[in-house]
Amino acid sequence: MKFLMKLLKRREVVVVLLLAIVVAVVGAINPVFVRPATLIDIVTSALILILLGVGESFVIITRGIDVSVGAVMGFAAVCLGLAANAGLSVPLSFGIAVLAGLVAGAISGAGVAFFKVPPIIMTLGTMGVLRGLMPVMTGGSWIDAVPQTVKNFAAARFLGLPATIWITLAIVIVTTIVLRRVRVARYFYPVGDNEEGAFLLGIPVAATKFAAYVISGGFAGIAAIFFVSQLSFVPMQAGSGQEMRAVAASVLGGVSLAGGLGTPIAPLVGGVFLTAIDSILVFLKVPAFWNDAVAGAILLAVVLFDYKIRTMMENEKKKARMLGRASGGLSGGLASGRKPADAQEGLR
Amino acid sequence: MSLKNVFKRWEFILLVLIVAELAFFGILSPGFLNLGNLLYSTNDFAHVLIVAIPFTLVVITGGIDISVPSTMGLVSIIFGLTWKFAGFPIWLAVIAALGTGILAGAINGLFVANTDINPIVLTLGTQFLYSGLATGLSGSIGASGYNGIGGFPDGFNNLAYGMVFGLPNALVFSLLFAAAIGVFLAKTSTGRSLYLVGVNRNAALFSGIKVKRSTVTTYVLTGLGAAVAGIYLTAYFTSSRSDIGHDALMPILTAVVLGGTDINGGAGTILGTIIAAVLLGYLKQGLMTIGVTSDVSQVMVGIILIVTIVGKVLAGNAAQARLNRAALKKIGSS
Repeated sequence: MKFLMKLLKRREVVVVLLLAIVVAVVGAINPVFVRPATLIDIVTSALILILLGVGESFVIITRGIDVSVGAVMGFAAVCLGLAANAGLSVPLSFGIAVLAGLVAGAISGAGVAFFKVPPIIMTLGTMGVLRGLMPVMTGGSWIDAVPQTVKNFAAARFLGLPATIWITLAIVIVTTIVLRRVRVARYFYPVGDNEEGAFLLGIPVAATKFAAYVISGGFAGIAAIFFVSQLSFVPMQAGSGQEMRAVAASVLGGVSLAGGLGTPIAPLVGGVFLTAIDSILVFLKVPAFWNDAVAGAILLAVVLFDYKIRTMMENEKKKARMLGRASGGLSGGLASGRKPADAQEGLR
Repeated sequence: MSLKNVFKRWEFILLVLIVAELAFFGILSPGFLNLGNLLYSTNDFAHVLIVAIPFTLVVITGGIDISVPSTMGLVSIIFGLTWKFAGFPIWLAVIAALGTGILAGAINGLFVANTDINPIVLTLGTQFLYSGLATGLSGSIGASGYNGIGGFPDGFNNLAYGMVFGLPNALVFSLLFAAAIGVFLAKTSTGRSLYLVGVNRNAALFSGIKVKRSTVTTYVLTGLGAAVAGIYLTAYFTSSRSDIGHDALMPILTAVVLGGTDINGGAGTILGTIIAAVLLGYLKQGLMTIGVTSDVSQVMVGIILIVTIVGKVLAGNAAQARLNRAALKKIGSS
């Protein structure tokens, strides 16, 4: 029971389990759903959300929020489209997209880290600026007819799967390892968990926050590459609404907006889940308009379930302490490596 | 309050900015400074004003409500649905719509008050839920897309275009609503307690403030504001659509924050919010009259938001440094 509780405390595990159950149930009702082709389709359409979510996670781990990722992706997509149509080579255009993302992220990051603008305000501002800039850059029209060479990127396959899936997986794995193993990369966690404490430890708090937004922008730039090569044109509403979905994917997978908690696995799991809902409803013959309602209900259910589990465990710990097994409870709390209950309460 | 303090207040600075703004656009385009025109054009941003007023309370308590735009859409659809498909008379449909908004706000408030989950996450969830319900409901009756449900009686549509005492209905309502909420915030003990809740929730709890009740109240009022705004927009566009107000979150939040409310809670006034909303509304109108496209004006609003906040932060830091120096000097001389 205790082991089960511990496992259930890992949000990624809960969401993967939930997803497995849902896939099994839907597969039983409509076997077409569990065909590899369908599942690959779902994962492929989740990739952009996953990439945005991975970048978003860096920001959320530092206890910020970036509501500009959708607009940054749209802006980077416009830069890519313009560059490719101007005859620049494909790698160069892709590089420009990532650079555009990094620059946009750097602007948000500078505001938050160096001028202490609250993250939601700063990124809302950059969102407005970038969304307004997009039509100005294109003269108000869509960018269509992106060269075939750009589209080849999304069409490429490797070992039977689209190459884009492999690339995304590689990105998630590499960032996860880097976040676990590289000393500087671990700075994101203390900065999000306890900013003043991190500062007193000598961690460059402002630079770390700045880096989080730059990384978030960079990932939005990569997402733009996927977007343009999948869609082969750039509508003006590219990426609109994606920022909230990116936050939702990260949170669903277990990144805490209280900061200091989460891994890049979270947006992977959460992104696939959110995207799967759309297809699942189609396979259950539920009209597609209900997608968002189901997604919202699931997001709420998961965070509330998580809250219940957390408070239950905290109460257990408190009870244990009251019963005079203080040493046991305390070492248990420390060994599990999680924040003590009151620390989390205070950080809210 | 002494006169000197009035000049130092943020609201006063905002007022000066409005005057400067009107003068600027008036010089560039003399037709802009027409009183009737200026009053009538408040109709274009009245929905922002109506929601920003109670939204200020939520932000003062340290919360936020991302779900406001989708509440507006849901309210609009419920209104159209109950009128056209359930055969409600207009007044009953309006009550049903208002009830929907209050319920949506109450759900947000109850979730926020009873858990320690970040309000952004909770209202993000309800945002998807409400907008999903709105698109779901409108889709299942075949009213999706841009047409929505229309054909309301003229008497209803005139709500958005009518006048009382020579002022547009929506403006009159906004001012009355603002006065009511402003009095509640500044003159009642529950209203004042919101500031303490925003500064330190635990301290508020231990001083016997009914934190849960105050929190729920702020979200319910915001739901009510969103409902009124949703109904207003339905009349304004003469059709009920699930995507009504979908881009309103940014101007609402901008108005609240530009109005001087601290996004981390604990500070803010209704007056500031109103002035900021009007400032932003006229900025958009003015830019439009001098031929700036809405895209460029969006860029400018974003930049203004950022520059204002950066300026406020820097000014605050400078003031703090001055205080610190003064304090050090005092210690040195004693």
